[in-house]
Amino acid sequence: MSATVWGDIEFTAVRELRGPLAVVDGVSGVGWDEFARITLPSGERRHGLVLEVDRDLVLVQILEDTWGMDPDGLRVAFAGEPLHIPVGSGWLGRVCNGRGDPIDGGPPVFGRARAPVGGTPLNPLHRQPPSEPVLTGVGAVDALTTLVRGQKLPVFSAAGLPHLELAAQIAAQSTAGGEAFSVVFAGMGLTHPEAAFVRDALDERSAAGELVLLLNTADDPVIERLLTPRIALTVAEDLAFTGGRHVLVVMTDMTSYAEALREVSAERGEIPARRAYPGYLYSDLASLYERCGRIRGRPGSVTVLPVLTMPAYDITHPVPDLTGYITEGQIVLSRRTHALGVHPPVDALSSLSRLMRRGAGPGRTRADHLPVAAQLLASLARARQVRELADLVGEDALSQADRGYLAFDEAFLRDFVDQPRDRMRRLEDTLERAWRVLLTLPRSQLTMLPDELLDARGAREDPAAGGVREAGG
Amino acid sequence: MRNPPPERVASALEPARAQLLRAARADAEAALALADREADDLLRRGDEEAETILAEARRAGEAEGADAARASLARARRTARERGLHERGAAYDELRARTVRRLRELMAGTGNGNPAGITMARRARRLLGPDAEVAEPPGGGLIARAEGRCVDYSPEALADRALARFGAEAETLWAP
Repeated sequence: MSATVWGDIEFTAVRELRGPLAVVDGVSGVGWDEFARITLPSGERRHGLVLEVDRDLVLVQILEDTWGMDPDGLRVAFAGEPLHIPVGSGWLGRVCNGRGDPIDGGPPVFGRARAPVGGTPLNPLHRQPPSEPVLTGVGAVDALTTLVRGQKLPVFSAAGLPHLELAAQIAAQSTAGGEAFSVVFAGMGLTHPEAAFVRDALDERSAAGELVLLLNTADDPVIERLLTPRIALTVAEDLAFTGGRHVLVVMTDMTSYAEALREVSAERGEIPARRAYPGYLYSDLASLYERCGRIRGRPGSVTVLPVLTMPAYDITHPVPDLTGYITEGQIVLSRRTHALGVHPPVDALSSLSRLMRRGAGPGRTRADHLPVAAQLLASLARARQVRELADLVGEDALSQADRGYLAFDEAFLRDFVDQPRDRMRRLEDTLERAWRVLLTLPRSQLTMLPDELLDARGAREDPAAGGVREAGG
Repeated sequence: MRNPPPERVASALEPARAQLLRAARADAEAALALADREADDLLRRGDEEAETILAEARRAGEAEGADAARASLARARRTARERGLHERGAAYDELRARTVRRLRELMAGTGNGNPAGITMARRARRLLGPDAEVAEPPGGGLIARAEGRCVDYSPEALADRALARFGAEAETLWAP
């Protein structure tokens, strides 16, 4: 925020302070959404955004909150424009707070250009459909819910699940097939141990100058949280569309962001909608998620991976519900899988990447990727039916083929999904593991795989005669 | 019945004794061979196990060594980067401090006919109106106040403004 040049005149008639809001009187020449700087008598500086202007009254939302402020002696300066930040490669390797101010001991972040954090609307005709994969090095994600450059794919999690570990692992390991790649990680509402964990986990990538880390901690003013993802996306857009990099933006936790939005909305006295979130939660989330993509004629891409926690594991909660409307699929984490000690605890059957076909298959990942993924999911669905049947009749009453599905399910979790939190798994290894797990089933059960692939892999015939019992029957 | 003489008994039992002895020797040889085989087997298994353990230990050692080397390299890079950033931060702070000092020198005695002070007071009155009160704060420069508004031309405020305009040029302080 160092690049902002403030107007000479500062306004001193602060009529009221309420929560994060300040009402300033006698102001002229100030517009809506302008960036403001508030100087306290001690010399401390805080920042704000103009929420409303009514004649000479201006309502300023103060990012660092109004605690410890006395209306007398405050000076408010306005920038004459919405919040802009410097953009460019100067952000790479830096660690900043949720407002974009460095917390790594370095100087302010400089850039050759400036950009508004609200983003610049993009002509829809200039958009190019997402394609080509971002390989995360997490087997279950790469094989079954392939992330595509320019896609927005959220992780739906719940309290107690290792979504932060997964987000950090993806941020640390992701690559774009040898092309220039960077990660912008926006942490919102993190505890200090979580923030320290993220810094450690991403240290190598940061030192390599491939990471921008924005950390808004739980004790930071809640309003800052509204700015954090916008700064992250603004930085990412420049790195991608000017710098020609493929950029992955990881934003966690979006529920924490939505709660900040709710708090500010309540302070402003707006009419609450579902669960007291503001009625514009959908469009606000869309204004973030829709900033991903690719632009025709320009190199680079912005891929967005928002992570959100579902309160009480409720997928109909407004945040996951509205996120699901906007994004292109979801990666769902499962409490049951987590309880089995499997990492990452991805619920493969509830997860989906709608754009996977644009990023996987011949010429993109591997020719057998899509049929292998389809067969894995089909067999998993069958295994789930068998497990439900086993709950009713007991495992002993199952046919041999059905018991084979239970063994497949176990092998899927232990040999395919489970992977160390600090180890990247290459796609080749992932797909070979997928084959090993699939080949625990007899050939007659692998109907989604072409014969030539099954021949090449030496799929075994049915070990015993006798049909497979219908799971529901 | 009379007992046969001992010589006859001995000679009569001789074949049985020989047979028993042969059988015992054969048993002993078989047991010895088995023991040898078992010992060989045990030794071989022991050797194999030792080799496996050794190979495993070597692999684990290599992996641990590689991990340690990677961690050490990462630590070194982190330390180097932190130092670099701190030095840049310190250089930037020094630039600001020097700018403030120089401005303070230039603006000393703004109320006593200093040309810079006269220019700034004129500019402040143009912005706030002719009734604006102009005062020289203890740190130098001037602060002008009017109803609900003020203009801060202290060395610190002017230095911040100058550095904001300077922008990315500041990087020339440490750029090669």
